[in-house]
Amino acid sequence: MSQAHKAPSPSQSKDSGKSEDAFSSNSVRLSGRQWFAALVVFAAFCVLVPAAWSRAEHFAPGRDYRVPYSMSDDYWHYARLCRRAREREDVVLIGDSVVWGEYVSPDKTLSAHLNALDGKRTYANLGVDGTHPAAMLGLVRYYGRAISGRRVLLHFNPLWMTSPRVDLQTEKEFRFNHSKLVPQFFPRIPCFKDPYPNRIGTAIGRYMPVRAWVNHVSLVYLDNSDPASWTINNPLTSPIGMLTMNLPEPETAPRHEQISWTERGMKPSNFEWVSPEMSLQLMFFKQTAELLLSRGNRVLVILGPFNEHAIAAESKAGYGRIIEGMRQWLDKKGIPSFAPPLLPSEQYGDSSHPLYEGYSIMAKGLLESEAFRREFQQ
Amino acid sequence: MLFQSWAFLIFFAIVFPFHLLVKGARLRIPCLLIANYAFYGFWNPLYPLLLLYATTVDYLAVAWMSRGGPKKLCVGLSVVNGLTLLAFFKYAAFIADNVNLLLAKFGMAWSAPRPDFVLPVGISFYVFQSLTYTIDCYRGQVERETSFWRYAAFVSLFPQICAGPIQRARELLPQLRETPRIGGRDVADGASLFIVGLFKKVALADYFSLYVDEVYSMPGEYQAGTLMLATFAFAWQLYFDFSGYTDMARGVARMMGLRYGLNFNNPYLATGLGEFWQRWHISLSNWFRDYLYIPLGGNRKGNLRTYINMFLTMVISGLWHGASWNYVIWGALHGAGRVCTRELERTNFYRSRLPKIVKQLFTFVFVCFCWIFFRAETFADARLIVSRIFASGFGEPKFPLLMAGLALSVWAYQFVHESRFSLWLQFAPVKVALTAAMLIYIAVFARTGNQAFIYFQF
Repeated sequence: MSQAHKAPSPSQSKDSGKSEDAFSSNSVRLSGRQWFAALVVFAAFCVLVPAAWSRAEHFAPGRDYRVPYSMSDDYWHYARLCRRAREREDVVLIGDSVVWGEYVSPDKTLSAHLNALDGKRTYANLGVDGTHPAAMLGLVRYYGRAISGRRVLLHFNPLWMTSPRVDLQTEKEFRFNHSKLVPQFFPRIPCFKDPYPNRIGTAIGRYMPVRAWVNHVSLVYLDNSDPASWTINNPLTSPIGMLTMNLPEPETAPRHEQISWTERGMKPSNFEWVSPEMSLQLMFFKQTAELLLSRGNRVLVILGPFNEHAIAAESKAGYGRIIEGMRQWLDKKGIPSFAPPLLPSEQYGDSSHPLYEGYSIMAKGLLESEAFRREFQQ
Repeated sequence: MLFQSWAFLIFFAIVFPFHLLVKGARLRIPCLLIANYAFYGFWNPLYPLLLLYATTVDYLAVAWMSRGGPKKLCVGLSVVNGLTLLAFFKYAAFIADNVNLLLAKFGMAWSAPRPDFVLPVGISFYVFQSLTYTIDCYRGQVERETSFWRYAAFVSLFPQICAGPIQRARELLPQLRETPRIGGRDVADGASLFIVGLFKKVALADYFSLYVDEVYSMPGEYQAGTLMLATFAFAWQLYFDFSGYTDMARGVARMMGLRYGLNFNNPYLATGLGEFWQRWHISLSNWFRDYLYIPLGGNRKGNLRTYINMFLTMVISGLWHGASWNYVIWGALHGAGRVCTRELERTNFYRSRLPKIVKQLFTFVFVCFCWIFFRAETFADARLIVSRIFASGFGEPKFPLLMAGLALSVWAYQFVHESRFSLWLQFAPVKVALTAAMLIYIAVFARTGNQAFIYFQF
């Protein structure tokens, strides 16, 4: 500072004889053409590396493969699974943890039972744990394009309308699963309070496969932390060395014990059902079905089976309104549906998830249903 | 709105084409002003009111001066108003705390109320920028700006309102009066500056902060090795953070047809503290030189007064950074360091015989030592860190190899840039490869989430 009295201003400094120094303190000053070249290299990286990775990474899913629980947020992997399903399977099942198989192992899910019972077609389990309808819409819209034109069994779970909270209607912030998949701006989700700059980033990131690929690499190889944070926790290890190109094996055991909801100590609940006209989740579910139809998919909706044993008598009417409203809408749209019969109480793990036998009953019922035979057996 | 956020990208994608459309028209300044206030209001819708107030007072003070008003009174009003704003929003709590401490020491029961204002982003920068206008007008070094709107645009220019660089009225107002000539070269140059700044911020500063924050949040848990490395890491973090912001600000301004001066010039290559301050936050150093050090007498009144002026300037510069004794000590350390090394730096031995690398290392280590006080949460923490650095064992610092590699690579790049081999860095393939590498690194490695710039708190 003392020399500052005599010191020349930056533009007159001894270094400023070189024009580059007046411009900046480094040599990165690109012309338009050089910028073009740099952007081409960058774009090539963004397109080619994820594509090459997809080929190089060992991924040979079995018939009853489901997304490992630890990879539920890996949408890049989901998109790859959709591409694989398009190549190999006749029918894909889309839904939340009911389709994914919350209480059962991968070989006991609804799709696994269908594979075992139906000798003619193969079924892919594209369920993802925690994908409520708002997230399912985003998942299908941004990452499920590959299954366009396929036969789809779309599961409708009334669980997401059991209260204004799970319907995402509360004004108080509520952190929910898969928030990166939900509409970031319109329609407004009252409990979603992510700062606007983050939402803009999320919305733009959906169109940048490289971001989803980076998330995949972080999730699979770097303990679900971003590369920078990973090096803090593993200071002396190279992240490159972690890239084994082997995906985690899908869990073979169920996530929870095979016991019924009553054995878990649950009691019938008085649900505050959201009215069908006001439900956000119902609206998102309808949009998902319409999106699939617009992509040339043949869709059959599976309604429930929700655990009606777990509904207190005073709130059964609300449930009835949801199902009836849904049926009417499906009829109006000409979308076939199948409502499995209510399962025995001991075949529910909680208010919406069947246990092993429950899936078996569902699969049999579905294959024998008129709607399925009419729509899918042609 | 942070430069590295998508929100800014969208803001700029709207503002820039509009600016190009109206750049030759009368609408240019009003449109720019709206963009500036919208940008600033994004932080808090009330901030623009404060900005407007500060702008209006200074504009009116100069208008009165130019119409024959008492010059000293006019400039005094402007200075007092600016400093009062700073005192009110920035230093009120600090003053109250210290008054209360004194009162308690003397056993007095009364205590001053402690205001709890949120410090408006950038207030230290735009108050200083506005003062360059009133003081320079008083000195007759700059013409009075007749258009209030143009003056308001000068004070509030969105590229630099949050953290500088502090622009002089005599440099920037003439640029605002002319129709900007914006060509492809300006856009390419602006993008070049911006991408380097973006890389510094999101790929380097935010990464280094992970290590620094962890260590500095619990300094008592770590031994000398970790504390030293965290301090070195902070030195680089601060440099990447602030110079990254400046690069982005200069890049955006360049695309808008405005030229801002260099604010950082590889400061960690400085061979002495005097040179360090000619390379670090140059616009602030120059401000203090022109509006404090020289008015105090500079080096015109003998050695003793020179040293006193130097020391005072550094202490006040420290206080400008924040309302805390840590910043005062940081400034005082630099002042003392400068006083002690001024004569040394003039000796033939230091200038000619001591290897450059030794001088650079000596300067870097001293600057890092001072950063301890700048970064520590409290004075007690700073003392603890210093004592542990000197008294505890080295330990096993778990410093990420990648971080060390990045810091060394940047240092090496800067060495080459300032050496006779700098032409190598100007080969087109090298520049293209480096830019593509930065883009890829940002896309792959950078952390998601928008962390604010460190200097926004000042």
